[in-house]
Amino acid sequence: MRRTYKFLLLLYPRGHRDRFAEEMIGVFEEASAEGRAAGWAWYVRFSFSEMAGLVAGATEAWLAPKPMPQAPPAHSSYLPQELLQAQQRVDANVAAMVHAIANHQFERARALSNQEREARENLRILRDKYSDGYGMPC
Amino acid sequence: MRHVAQETPETKPLSEPVLLILTSLAEHPRHGYALIKDMELLSGGRVRMSTGTLFGALRRLLEDGWIERFEQEDTARQKQAYRLTSAGIRQLQIELERMKQLTRAGFARLRASEAI
Repeated sequence: MRRTYKFLLLLYPRGHRDRFAEEMIGVFEEASAEGRAAGWAWYVRFSFSEMAGLVAGATEAWLAPKPMPQAPPAHSSYLPQELLQAQQRVDANVAAMVHAIANHQFERARALSNQEREARENLRILRDKYSDGYGMPC
Repeated sequence: MRHVAQETPETKPLSEPVLLILTSLAEHPRHGYALIKDMELLSGGRVRMSTGTLFGALRRLLEDGWIERFEQEDTARQKQAYRLTSAGIRQLQIELERMKQLTRAGFARLRASEAI
């Protein structure tokens, strides 16, 4: 159950995960412990509500208007093109994964999850390559 | 055509999850799980919020500046507490006043209809 929860957290935008993922897992585990003690019927209802809440929450997080961006650092216009493209590939992958899960295409979501992992690894390698001040938030 | 007075962020009615979070934090700072339990209590067991819904609402409230993270020395990252800001207190007061006015008007109409 915890593994499914963590998998569904991947649907959220990176910014949301960085800020809240650990807390969400912590709260989910506290609530799960209570649920297990309350009996299996309660626990099934709780699990379904949590999973549905994550899918809805991730969709809402992607659709929510972004807060006003802070002024970009002076060197941001020099960000390497391949780094920007790698970031865009990760974002597009996550958006496709949200769409697939919302449409109950779980096989496709799993395949997209693997692709996302590869895209993220590629992004990490590029960040290391350009780590001389090109650090880019994602 | 229906005419509705223009709603500003300050006068727009709050959603139930937001109202429950602000009401819960009005007492003292709380972390995520304590918020879920207190909201269940406040709503008489009617509202049991999922973590997805809770943290979506917390994110919006942080962005609007109505709540803030509350640093406690013994707080692990998994147990981050939140508290109301002065803007959050003001929003809650406005909403409660709005509800009080509506409740008063509603009961007055009911009494009037019973008297007929």
